[in-house]
Amino acid sequence: MSELKGKVAIVGIGEVPTGRFPETAAIYHAIESAKQAIRDAGINKDEIDFCMPTASLFSPQFNTELVTCRVVEELGLKNCKKNCQVFSGGSSSSCGLQMAGSLIASGVARTVLFVHSDRLGTGVTAQGGIDLFSTAGISAEWEVPFGQHYSSIAALSTTRYKYETGCTDEQLAAVCVSNRKWAQMNPNAFFRKPLTIEEVMASKMLSTPLRAKMSNMLFDGGSAFVLTSAERARDLPNKPVYILGESGVVSHFVFSQEPDVSRFGWGKAAKEAFEEADLTPQDMDVAEIYDSYPVYQMIGFEELGFCERGEAGEIFMRGDTWPGGRIPCTTDGGMLSKGHIGAGGAVSLLVEAARQLMGKAGERQVKDARFAVETATGGTYMDAQVTILGTEIP
Amino acid sequence: MDTPKRPVPIVNPWARPFWDAARKKRLVIQRCGDCNTYIFYPRIACPHCFSDNVEWVEASGNGIVYSFTVVENNAPSAFIGEMPYVVAIIKLEEGVQMLSNVVECDLDKLHCDMPVEVTFEKLTDEFTLPKFRPVKTF
Repeated sequence: MSELKGKVAIVGIGEVPTGRFPETAAIYHAIESAKQAIRDAGINKDEIDFCMPTASLFSPQFNTELVTCRVVEELGLKNCKKNCQVFSGGSSSSCGLQMAGSLIASGVARTVLFVHSDRLGTGVTAQGGIDLFSTAGISAEWEVPFGQHYSSIAALSTTRYKYETGCTDEQLAAVCVSNRKWAQMNPNAFFRKPLTIEEVMASKMLSTPLRAKMSNMLFDGGSAFVLTSAERARDLPNKPVYILGESGVVSHFVFSQEPDVSRFGWGKAAKEAFEEADLTPQDMDVAEIYDSYPVYQMIGFEELGFCERGEAGEIFMRGDTWPGGRIPCTTDGGMLSKGHIGAGGAVSLLVEAARQLMGKAGERQVKDARFAVETATGGTYMDAQVTILGTEIP
Repeated sequence: MDTPKRPVPIVNPWARPFWDAARKKRLVIQRCGDCNTYIFYPRIACPHCFSDNVEWVEASGNGIVYSFTVVENNAPSAFIGEMPYVVAIIKLEEGVQMLSNVVECDLDKLHCDMPVEVTFEKLTDEFTLPKFRPVKTF
């Protein structure tokens, strides 16, 4: 339990399209997203007193620029007291939100700019991306020598999940189809053509039972949000998106040390987050669930309590998670359809949760959305981070 | 494209006895002398009771396949020539888990909870990797 409930709010969001932009410098994705977020918040840029850029993976040199205050200078943030990187891989959204929230709640900072950008689509080659992600976060002593990489990791979870629940490959494909239906309405998504279960099942096998269209792809992109106190938020134009509850479980570094690769710590993290918010899964209008591969979206969906273990496949097949469905899920298209941008995969999911709650999601707006849950995980699913957000404080 | 050499383990000094034993075709793990819990991978102190009293013991070499996958495409560069290969999490009788490859196996017959036993494959003069093969049931 934290002291943050209802104390801080996301007041502005920004995002650039996800895609391949070989002519665009990585810093553009950061500063354009940040500029949008500051303008969206309706504040003067000089109100930002703490800049928190999370890490970019494609280039150590570019990441060093983020660490050494480039965003602050490019945007001319005149009253910025600290520029400090918060990074936990794919869970940087949740960890950044908690860190930024704590700084504001304690009075250390008043208004925090959190920003992500990366160029994994054009800053590295396709094989370079595979090779980067066959070492980044994977144990050089205990896993790299055996040919472990992110597809085989997701496949290990998928094999065990199928074995324990009876989930079918078609049900896994249905997750991809559900996310694509949302991406079709997201101008910032990379994959926007309709997708069928048959197309997913016909795509190339990577690591059994995982096929190419069940895998995320790496792209360029960026997103940002501005966080401030609930008190200040009430004077600003957007509906404040309050942090209502959060929790997390760190479970492993070496993937093969994880005792339960088809559950992880989601159940415990979700229970604590919902308790703090004084809400239940049934109260959620939107579920922004981390989806690097379909099995993780199903596990998250079940462990958060949206259905019983083993039922997610049927629910995704039936369309309950689609636009207009009972439980709108991963409404920006997620990493599977919007595209994976590194640490920003979940930053853009968090931004999407805020966008839905502010009522600014355009064609894909979930009507009267008041409460949302967002999940994030880093490394090889090393942690389970759950955040409950809302425009009201229960 | 030139295929890079298969990566060798980047070894921490306190894990050296594991790799020295593997080179002699022996599988060793740690056990805590205080709480008696088996430990893998090697630690500088027991991750359960935090005791420094950790010792090396011979492992049975028997276990089950907790989960597995057959890598058919998009392998890391150094493993492109190895495809198809099996990546598996092995749960040893002692209760610890490790990543390895299942070898000498009909790929269609692989399944979760399948009994396996250790075997050893030389990678370089310095490194031999513990691998696992199905336990023969005849």
